Amino acid sequence: MSGLTLATIVPDIHFTAWEILAVKLVVVLVTVPVVSLIGGYVLHKELAHLQQRLGPMYPGGFHGWGQTLADGIKFIFKEDIIPLTADKWVFSLAPALIYVPAIMLYLVIPMDRNLIVENLDVGVFYLLAIGSIATIGVLMAGWSSANKYSLLGALRAAAQLIAYELPIVLMVAVVAMLAGTLSILGIVEKQSWPFILWPPGIGLVAFLVFFTGAMAEMTLPPFDMPVAESEIITGPFTEYTGMRFIFGFFGAEMAHMVAFAGIITTLFLGGFMPIVPWHPLTYIPGIIWFLAKTSFMVFLMIWIRFTFPRLREDQLQQFAWKFLIPVSLVNILAAGAWVLYAPSWLWK
Amino acid sequence: MTIDERPVETASAGTGREHPAYSSTRYPEKLRIERKMTFGIGLFKGMAVTLKHLFKHNTVIQYPEVKQDLSPRTRGVIALKEENCTVCMLCARECPDWCIYIDSHKETLPPKRAGGRPRKRNVLDRFAIDYALCMYCGICVEVCPYDALFWSREFEYAEFDIRELTHEKEKLSDWMASVLPPPSLEQGAELPGQAAAPIAAGGAGPGSAQRPAPPAAVTAAAERPEQAAKATATATAAAPAPSAASPSQTQAGETAAPDSVARATEEKVETHTGDALAGAVTDAGPSGPDAAVSPTEAAGTGAAVAKDDAVTSEPGVGASTSESGPAGGLEPLSGTSAVSSTQPGVDVAKYQENPGPNVEVPHEEPRPRALEPTEDADAVYSEVLQGQLEKGSSPQVAEARAKVAKVKAQRGIKRGPTPVYTPNLVPSAPTQGHEDPSVPSGAPEATPPEPDPGPVASTAQEPAAGAAPPASRASQPDPPEAETAGAEASSGGAASSPDSPAPEDPEAAYERVLAEERAKGSSDPVAMGRAKAARVRAQKAKGSA
Repeated sequence: MSGLTLATIVPDIHFTAWEILAVKLVVVLVTVPVVSLIGGYVLHKELAHLQQRLGPMYPGGFHGWGQTLADGIKFIFKEDIIPLTADKWVFSLAPALIYVPAIMLYLVIPMDRNLIVENLDVGVFYLLAIGSIATIGVLMAGWSSANKYSLLGALRAAAQLIAYELPIVLMVAVVAMLAGTLSILGIVEKQSWPFILWPPGIGLVAFLVFFTGAMAEMTLPPFDMPVAESEIITGPFTEYTGMRFIFGFFGAEMAHMVAFAGIITTLFLGGFMPIVPWHPLTYIPGIIWFLAKTSFMVFLMIWIRFTFPRLREDQLQQFAWKFLIPVSLVNILAAGAWVLYAPSWLWK
Repeated sequence: MTIDERPVETASAGTGREHPAYSSTRYPEKLRIERKMTFGIGLFKGMAVTLKHLFKHNTVIQYPEVKQDLSPRTRGVIALKEENCTVCMLCARECPDWCIYIDSHKETLPPKRAGGRPRKRNVLDRFAIDYALCMYCGICVEVCPYDALFWSREFEYAEFDIRELTHEKEKLSDWMASVLPPPSLEQGAELPGQAAAPIAAGGAGPGSAQRPAPPAAVTAAAERPEQAAKATATATAAAPAPSAASPSQTQAGETAAPDSVARATEEKVETHTGDALAGAVTDAGPSGPDAAVSPTEAAGTGAAVAKDDAVTSEPGVGASTSESGPAGGLEPLSGTSAVSSTQPGVDVAKYQENPGPNVEVPHEEPRPRALEPTEDADAVYSEVLQGQLEKGSSPQVAEARAKVAKVKAQRGIKRGPTPVYTPNLVPSAPTQGHEDPSVPSGAPEATPPEPDPGPVASTAQEPAAGAAPPASRASQPDPPEAETAGAEASSGGAASSPDSPAPEDPEAAYERVLAEERAKGSSDPVAMGRAKAARVRAQKAKGSA
């Protein structure tokens, strides 16, 4: 399998580290907004078709492909309003603190064996750390807005993060235990059978808990209490307008959604590996496998998102503390037992 | 008593914390176990529901590109059939929003003939509907007694200026092109003509009661305005087509009986060949032969024809259509007749060709179905021709009347005057002494109109009957007006009209007519009725003398 690398594209040119960094930066900074736009478009269309509508049909010509692009441009040209009593610096910085971690998540997601921006040895730690920073941005936005709804939403977001970060971390630990490595590329390559299928039960539970926790951490419906519009308007983003709003709210949401879909694909579904270890399937490039799996996860997230109604805040907390975390603890025990005591021919 | 002290139904279940609504008595244990076992299944059920909808065909209609096929009874815009409007103001009065503006003035028309009574008529100056106020309740359409207002499915008339939303009568008339034909009746539904003309149906042959009427003569004739106008303009008295009705007459309803038109041309009466739409009501008065039937009534009847034409079994209407002559009546009259095609700048074809799949254009017979022919047509033709010539009619008139009689005979339509009883017949001013029924003349017996069992229900006076031999219409008396018109209009009318005899004693007239009728074989009620009428006439003649 020949992976796509810079070396294969331009083989005879040697890059300095700074040049490589610049190229990577450009790639990431172009990719992530584009992915956000595509994610938003898919969101529009899937929601519409789930309700037997058509969704956007005009912008751009073909089935309204330019809808999110036009939305983004519109928001960018809107007036940027900062409330008089707001903490201006914090208020201005908060959207960046939400959006930049979303971009940074993409750095360690391998789209193919060689198509990865940085193959960190502690990639899983990096994911967990970066994935939680956005909540600080949400807290900053809520606190600095000088608005009770914003503050309520921010506190809800913080509580939600604390509640759902735990099952996520535990399930990532399960994956790391099963793979025996913290490197994301290593985790992918260990999955000749995706973890969701093997070992029995443990991987499936881990997948379901991680998926639910990821939905909650991204504050996607039905876990979107921080921005529950019927209760607290738009939560921390109530006071935001224009570009800050679109990047801090919609853009970050879409980027997060696609990023977490990629992370789930990487950790549980075998990443860029074929879905079953059957030789002919390996001729399909890994990036196709990765994109197909990621797209399916995005589809699933949107499907769930528009199927279930929003939980109540107390239900959310009860669900995390009374159900997800116990299940995670049991699962991590089971994973440890499996790693220690299962015969090696079963899974290695 | 606090909530805690309240006796709780669930006390027996052992768990005091349970909500009464979910206590074991009301919420059986079995069901609760089932609920626990299927925990989480509901989530997947919900996702299955949304997934199912994902693959269902969407229901969106992309409006500007794709137009929705609106129901035929959509309340889009109200169209005005201007020639039917009599300025009765009912719509304006009933309108809850008061959004209908009507202006009119009265016009005095000259009498139709010397000594006649000048007639007054309302002329519509302005008819406007302010759609910015209209709430589309449709009361005006419902209340209009003359079928001048119709619903149209058109709805795209938004404007940038609210003042533009007041549609004047020209615009309202333009909407008529988009009015759909009336829907066909349900299977087995009572035919609309039955209730309207029970007498006519009863007197007609067995086949005539269910005979669907042809499409409205109004539109049929209106579709050939140029032809009609040309025929009139050249004043060809021998025009073979009795459809030489001027557009105005044709629009005014079936008053355009062929021989009356022929008479009009013969007398060089200036017929109005102007715009059929605008001049319809206006022109019908002076040129039309109907002395008794006011223009408004004629227009109303014409509209009734237009509206009920889908399935109308009223034989009179059908007969009147066929009376428009061989050229007019025999032409295939198909199409949707509620739409007048003479309006300028109106796209009729769109609606007539493709009114949309929801719209069921009623199937219409291309021509009136013939009844059982009662008489030999050729014999009738020669008979009537002979009678007319003897009477002194001009050859053209005689031929036209004979043709009408022939067509009627071919189609099994009983010839005779209208059975429609007009309560307020305005008698023409007495011109020449024609009141005495005792003096035989070319004109038929002058007896007051009565509910005649004849199948002909035309509101127009039927001068053709006047030409028929007396024997064949012994039971079909003409109203005096028709007789007057017929006698007067024919060129030999003056010569053949009898001089006024000395007034007869009313009682003597009564006895005489009674005896005459009985001798003729009339039934007792008919005979007595005619005798009474003769008595009244005699009294009047006496009084005037």
